[in-house]
Amino acid sequence: MRMLNQCGLLSLCIIMTCGVPACKPRNAGAAVTGDAAQRTYVAPGKYDEFYNFVSGGFNGQVSVYGLPSGRMLKLIPVFSVFPENGYGYSEETKPMLNTSHGFVPWDDQHHLELSQTNGQPDGRWLFANANNTPRVARIDLRTFRTTEILELPNSGGNHSSPFTTENTEYIVAGTRFSVPMGDNQDVPLSSYKKNFHGTVSFISIDSSSGQMKIAFQLMLPGIDFDLSHAGKGPSHDWFFFSCYNTEQAHTLLEVNASQRDKDFIMAVNWKKAEEYMRQGKGVKKSVSYVHNLYDEKNHTATSTVEKEVWVLDPKELKDMVYFIPCPKSPHGCDVDPSGEFIVGSGKLAALIPVFSYTKMLKAIADKQFEGDYEGIPVIKYAAALQGEVQKPGLGPLHTEFDGKGNAYTSMFVSSEIVKWSLKDLKVLDRAPTYYSVGHLCIPGGDSKNPYGKYLIAYNKITKDRYLPTGPELAQSAQLYDISGDKMQLILDYPTIGEPHYAQALPADMISKRSTKFFKIEENAHPYVSKGEKEAKVIREGNKVHVYITAIRSHFVPDNIEGVRLGDEVFFHVTNLEQDWDIPHGFAVKGATNAEILIMPGETCTLKWVPGEAGVYPMYCTDFCSALHQEMQGYVRVSPAGSSIPLTFSTNKAEPDSTLAK
Amino acid sequence: MKRKMSPVTRVITLLASLTMVAVLFLPIWRIELSAPQYPEGLVLKIYANAIGGDVDVVNGLNHYIGMRTLHTRDFVEFIVLPYIIGGFAAIGLLIALVNRRGLFYGWVLLILLIAVTSMIDFYRWEYNYGHNLDESAPIRVPGMAYQPPLIGYKQLLNFGAYSVPASGGWIFAGVGLLLVITGIVEWKRQGRRDVISSRTVMAILLPGILFITSCTGGGPQPIRYGQDNCDFCKMGIADKRFGAEILTNKGKAYKFDDFHCLLAFLDSKVLATKEIADVYLIDFSVDRQWVRADEAHLLKSESLHSPMNGNIAAFKNTDSMNKYAIELRGTPVTWKELYK
Repeated sequence: MRMLNQCGLLSLCIIMTCGVPACKPRNAGAAVTGDAAQRTYVAPGKYDEFYNFVSGGFNGQVSVYGLPSGRMLKLIPVFSVFPENGYGYSEETKPMLNTSHGFVPWDDQHHLELSQTNGQPDGRWLFANANNTPRVARIDLRTFRTTEILELPNSGGNHSSPFTTENTEYIVAGTRFSVPMGDNQDVPLSSYKKNFHGTVSFISIDSSSGQMKIAFQLMLPGIDFDLSHAGKGPSHDWFFFSCYNTEQAHTLLEVNASQRDKDFIMAVNWKKAEEYMRQGKGVKKSVSYVHNLYDEKNHTATSTVEKEVWVLDPKELKDMVYFIPCPKSPHGCDVDPSGEFIVGSGKLAALIPVFSYTKMLKAIADKQFEGDYEGIPVIKYAAALQGEVQKPGLGPLHTEFDGKGNAYTSMFVSSEIVKWSLKDLKVLDRAPTYYSVGHLCIPGGDSKNPYGKYLIAYNKITKDRYLPTGPELAQSAQLYDISGDKMQLILDYPTIGEPHYAQALPADMISKRSTKFFKIEENAHPYVSKGEKEAKVIREGNKVHVYITAIRSHFVPDNIEGVRLGDEVFFHVTNLEQDWDIPHGFAVKGATNAEILIMPGETCTLKWVPGEAGVYPMYCTDFCSALHQEMQGYVRVSPAGSSIPLTFSTNKAEPDSTLAK
Repeated sequence: MKRKMSPVTRVITLLASLTMVAVLFLPIWRIELSAPQYPEGLVLKIYANAIGGDVDVVNGLNHYIGMRTLHTRDFVEFIVLPYIIGGFAAIGLLIALVNRRGLFYGWVLLILLIAVTSMIDFYRWEYNYGHNLDESAPIRVPGMAYQPPLIGYKQLLNFGAYSVPASGGWIFAGVGLLLVITGIVEWKRQGRRDVISSRTVMAILLPGILFITSCTGGGPQPIRYGQDNCDFCKMGIADKRFGAEILTNKGKAYKFDDFHCLLAFLDSKVLATKEIADVYLIDFSVDRQWVRADEAHLLKSESLHSPMNGNIAAFKNTDSMNKYAIELRGTPVTWKELYK
């Protein structure tokens, strides 16, 4: 009996070990190649090969990384205030964040696009979109500063932006949220189909100054425009946009905007639109939007309210806009380097359709339409289709190109990057991402000549990749070497904010032109002090203007008396240094806004309203020299109506002050 | 004396009954779900009286594919099962007490029966949850079902589902095995049949058998006209009089809008013949009724004007075919002639 019992136990054990028919596969884990460290190591003092500009999502900023090291070089405030350097707090930069809704200190920054010449990034400007309060910003890549922000009228959210044409003729901005337009916008939400419209704005860029201007807007059906890319080479005259919610749902879009089997890729012939504009076919609409421009000479931004915009209606103006059916709520809309193939990525589709520009033109010429959608012709799916990438993975989102005939598509749901051939649309390779990749970036990956060496995956989920930091984690990025047949993971690093689209280009296209400091003699700031002799304090009613200079390691003046309660004090700080990397900072106790950082040769203004009488220390916040800690001073604030005269000095031992006027 | 159990069997019965009580408190089955973005994994634990683990997380994900959410209250099993298990423990204790061999056999067989029944019931639930999907779900993959495996591993979109017994299940299995072995030993010791105890066995088994036979299995998946696309020509399936489906051994369904597409797909050898479990055709005369291709009566007629000009209609019974044959001036053909 005991024997039998033992037998029983034995068989039980056998069943427990072998009884499970199929074994659970292990997760792929981090399959890093052996010499990854060598390939991503940039020795101390050496430079990275590429600049990588990464959108910051909800932080409203742009972060700059070096590749292949993944080292973060800079955080550029664009749509968000930045107390670190005073952007949005200093008197000079406050106008940058002005909108038709007033001062908006934040935005959701999704996509970046480098300016291009002949279809290639030229390293001059970087454009950034604001998804929330619709805006487009221009960053000057000599100074890495936001120098222009243009608000967009007739828009509910600027998502399919800021993509460029081959010579930066235009930057586009398409509405994610359709909204009612015109005089009466107080309409029931249920009247969506009747009252809501989308628009796509074409913003012309001045080729020398980079200044933005809304050239025209296309008035479009009330659907959601998601992403876009311009044609290239043969398709130069065209722009392509992905659209979803052709169901025109205004609630529970998760379900209600996922019902139609196909939404659209919208093809816009912008040359045709230009022609209609020239022929005077545009309609002038009265709107209100704000245009903010930073002047590098006087280091000051100005905000202008614009009152009109030209609108073209494709329902009336034919041959300008077409729809191509694209399966299942397309997200990415990417054009290959040759300009022939347009890749639409249906978020929920089990395949990736690739459209042919040539076939599209032929379909238009042959009138191969399956009908129209709100007056815009819909080309037959099969007529414009080059082919479909079969079984690419789950949740295709975005595609970048390596310039060697391959495309790389991010797969959100199956959390992988899929490499496929543009020639036969066959899948060539897959690499897991950690986890759920959103956008991809190959240096120049959306241009005519990509630098197909690296690919970065920007992931939406991080989980266990790094040491835990409480519930909120940094978003993870992975760098892949794509120079060979197989993608190889070589680096994994955390990022700032929530990266969406990113751009990268060879470092020397920017590094050689980088501004080192501003020439003091060219400083046209109205409150500049070009030397300590020009430093002064002037009262204008209850406004006290402090013309203050900073040089290692003192302020002039550093003793100020005669400020009274009720005064508004403006510290106009001029950094007199004329050398590379000698910024000074300025802070005063009790300032309710921020500190400011002043670059060499620059003037920057901090407004300060003291709350009570007393003595307030002020000091330099940026460690500028061995005696940085000595770079400090005092402001004396007396009660309102005090007869203490306004005086200022530096290094006056006796109370023998110059009287201010 | 012959109707009594051996002392060892009695002790084992006693111990097995007590062990069974533990099953009431331990998870019986577990379904582990892993996806790239869930490196930590998700788990569903099935207890005798409840479903536990990451139910809320799983329910949050289910809506994408239109799967119903899981709630303990939706399962009558969770009310009944604790009583069944508890009842078994009680009956076991009673049998050890009254010491009747026949009752012991019956008890063992009933445990086995219940184990099998439970598995079938479990499969049925998995099938229903995996197949009855909301047609307005955001993600609809043609032919895709999300039925987790009964035991073992299966890939469901981005999730790998791994279904195995949990501690309670292993205990149950161990107890069952031990009792079967004990039963066999007891039987051999007894040396001959005992008529009365067999009758007792039947009395206990009968309700269980009835329970089992009430369960149902799989079959072809319905074509969602207007939503599903043909797996060959990729066009939407719209004409409800036509339609075909290939069901693979793995349970995957390929749907077609026309006989022409079905044949072309079969010819393309995308599926090896041995992978194909069944081919079904839509009955021309009855709305959305499937008929197995090899059992169907087929009619060929140019006046059918089927979506892709296959112009073959299928019928379950000859009478309907004959009726349409006259009306459409068609000629009857057979599946074997068309598909070689």
